[in-house]
Amino acid sequence: MLIRSPKDWELPESAVTAEQIYRLRNRRDFLKSVGVGLAGAAFAPQALLAATAGFPSKENPAYPASALKPTAYEYITSYNNFYEFGTDKSEPKEYANKGWKTDPWTIEVFGLVNKPAKFDVNDLVGKLGGIEQRVYRHRCVEAWSMVIPWDGFPLAKLVALADPKPEAKFLLFTSFVDPKNAIGQRQGNLDYPYIEGLRLDEATNELAFIATGIYGKPIPNQNGAPLRLVTPWKYGFKGIKSIVKIEFTAKMPQNTWKVMNGREYGFYANVNPLVDHPRWSQASERIIGGGVFGGGRQATLMFNGYEKQVASLYKGLDLERNY
Amino acid sequence: MAFLEKLLRSKAFVVTLIVLPGLWPAWPLLRHDPSVLADPLKYVLHHLGFTACVLLAVVLSFTPLRVLFPKWGVALALNRHRRLVGVSAFVYAALHLATHLLYETGGDTSALGRVFKAAATKPFQLVGLAAFVILLVLAVTSLNAAVRWLGGKRWKNLHRLVYIAAGLAAYHQIEARKIFPVQVLWIFGPLAVLEIARIIRQRMPRSPVAAKAA
Repeated sequence: MLIRSPKDWELPESAVTAEQIYRLRNRRDFLKSVGVGLAGAAFAPQALLAATAGFPSKENPAYPASALKPTAYEYITSYNNFYEFGTDKSEPKEYANKGWKTDPWTIEVFGLVNKPAKFDVNDLVGKLGGIEQRVYRHRCVEAWSMVIPWDGFPLAKLVALADPKPEAKFLLFTSFVDPKNAIGQRQGNLDYPYIEGLRLDEATNELAFIATGIYGKPIPNQNGAPLRLVTPWKYGFKGIKSIVKIEFTAKMPQNTWKVMNGREYGFYANVNPLVDHPRWSQASERIIGGGVFGGGRQATLMFNGYEKQVASLYKGLDLERNY
Repeated sequence: MAFLEKLLRSKAFVVTLIVLPGLWPAWPLLRHDPSVLADPLKYVLHHLGFTACVLLAVVLSFTPLRVLFPKWGVALALNRHRRLVGVSAFVYAALHLATHLLYETGGDTSALGRVFKAAATKPFQLVGLAAFVILLVLAVTSLNAAVRWLGGKRWKNLHRLVYIAAGLAAYHQIEARKIFPVQVLWIFGPLAVLEIARIIRQRMPRSPVAAKAA
């Protein structure tokens, strides 16, 4: 049971019926797209499918599918940047599913916190009260975008569980190291492990989310199983996949792409149509999955359309310098 | 080897070799490969640019091959197709640019100004555009009439710009990816080795080959 007070940007009560009809249609699209077929008929529309084993996902009405047009499951799971498994978009799907084990999985939370701990993923989800579905825009720094129905939990809940000390100001996320099973780590295409960071106030923003599923199914390996950061107002590379450690620190941590090429990728990586990448414009984006001629192009929104939720975090910050 | 030489002398065979890579993107599109269908135009865009780079490196290797192996029939057969392969590299580059414009504008011609303006401020895009302009000039002046009009010496000097185009294309290809793409070495590395060997060969004073080629 999710206890929360409604926000001014949420749908009014009167919109609920329409939303449920939409979700029914959406669920049928989903079943078709993943090929569940007849087996899907057993599921009630409310419950959707389990994301992390044993935890049914429930749509968070603040981030409904009806507000956006979700990208088809097969594109979300076939067009991936996960350099641990190769640099081509098609490679993660192939190489992340060749013996790499994401179950069981342990995550360690430590550093400037009162309650450092190691958790089994399923225990953690249980402790945090289960999972919810949120449909978010996803904008890659490469100027393409998707709409993804994530299942998971707000990062703020995990932060509260760890109980940060007053001197904690940042979070450092670390992904896995397993060169035996990760072809990209054997090639050494980046410095591994992949690391990412957030300011504490960014991490506790209501949007910051840890995904454990997509479309009500457990998150596929190529999308960052079993725990993956989702910060929809930032470029996709901030969304570190397959997290094994979260350290609370006093100093701003490094992040992998900034280390690799600091001129092109910064710490903040906020989606901003007014600040170009050195090699291309960020003013607009390609929509993934629109048939042979593509989904066309749309204008990129400030903070990827989440200005209302996050703009206050960056008051007084020069966004051109802090890209 | 005689068979290969005969095959490579055939214009029809070489044209087939040039056209086939252009059709290659059709295969994953028809197979409904979701990682390609996610953004098919981008796949076509990269593929056309890649093919243009390969053809540019290939046509530039013809002369050094002939200088280094003057009696090798294959090298001589290849040199019959210098203009054909060179113009094909330009055609692929033109298709690549056209795809880029379609990709960026979504077919809205009023957005063309914005796209070129953005390109002017981005070295990655500007360098690609410069390489294309060179290839365009060389393709236009590859007509027999242009050779006569310019005169042999001036024509040759002008066409040495192709080496600059190759350098710009290699830079453009490297910059197209977030990390260094190893394929650039496979495409332009052998050419660099051939060119160095050719320069050394042509500087050897008593070589009759060098005297003839100089």
